[in-house]
Amino acid sequence: MTGPLVVSQEMGLLLAVMLGFFFGLFLERGGLGNPHKLTGVFYLTDFVVPKVMFTAILVASVGFYLLSDLKLLDLNRVWIVPAFFWPQIAGGALFGIGFVVSGYCPGTSVAGLASGRLDALVTMIGIGIGSLIFAVAYPMLEDFYQSSPMGVATIPGVTGVSHWIVLAVLFIVAGLMFYLMEQFEKKAK
Amino acid sequence: MAKNNFWSPYIAGAGLGLTLLATFYLAGWGLGASSAFSLLASLGMKEVHPDFTQRLTYFSQYLNAESPLRDWVLFEVGGLFLGALSAALFSGNFKFRFDRGPGMSAGKRLIAAVSGGIMIGFASRLARGCTSGVALSGGAQLAIGGWIFVIAMFVSGFIAAALFRRLWT
Repeated sequence: MTGPLVVSQEMGLLLAVMLGFFFGLFLERGGLGNPHKLTGVFYLTDFVVPKVMFTAILVASVGFYLLSDLKLLDLNRVWIVPAFFWPQIAGGALFGIGFVVSGYCPGTSVAGLASGRLDALVTMIGIGIGSLIFAVAYPMLEDFYQSSPMGVATIPGVTGVSHWIVLAVLFIVAGLMFYLMEQFEKKAK
Repeated sequence: MAKNNFWSPYIAGAGLGLTLLATFYLAGWGLGASSAFSLLASLGMKEVHPDFTQRLTYFSQYLNAESPLRDWVLFEVGGLFLGALSAALFSGNFKFRFDRGPGMSAGKRLIAAVSGGIMIGFASRLARGCTSGVALSGGAQLAIGGWIFVIAMFVSGFIAAALFRRLWT
């Protein structure tokens, strides 16, 4: 059956809880509810974040393009993350600082609270306040927020290179990165 | 600290990737997190200051919905909490604590946790999502926006860690 499947709102919300359940389960079991492990990559002490993140990206990406090639997933009906160059550079940069300072990101703060960490709850409140500040400042930020739009741009789409070649490069880069991280962690022990 | 009985990051990552793939196939979009915080902030603010909040055009996307709480990402984040809670309980990893870097006072941790959170909340709105909705979901779609965010976040995180060495080490 070609996806994405069209489901009723009730079914959609039920699915959301179920998919979120596995999301949280794998985050916690990967160690991503723990701020020491979450910030480890930035201090070169624990590389669990890039390991979990890039493994997840590779697995999901191969499946995504495989289902599309097999006509089992209609990408025209999938919401693709839009690109806005400068807002996402600035947002990503500020996000990186907040990640190191708080020890969490939004999803992992929820996983942190779910493992009993009350500092994660404080970060969650901060995320709410930060969203509110953005909404209040939005009239001043709107021009920048809407600037440098690139539309629904994907690397294969923009470069014209086959997605399998992009994925092959990504596999090699990630594999090399994982190898170096394992070597580094072994040496540090 | 609790004993370290976590799974291999590659196993957890593969599980997370399959969950994300299932989300693409079943729902037609990726996993998210930060928009649930923005939604709750808009609803909470509306309770306290309804007139002020109604004038915030950015929040109208949530407040103009017929039933704002019936939101996909909000339900997904609820599931995230339950999944992580189950995992923590069954692995004996659940413990009430105020987690912080070695040698950091509780007061400093409180300030770091809330100020870092504020930066994350603001940055997620500016970037149109966070590590879940933009980095993970966009990354897997090979979307330019996802990879721009990933690169900016890691570069800036390394610089921040060099500047704030005492936070976590």
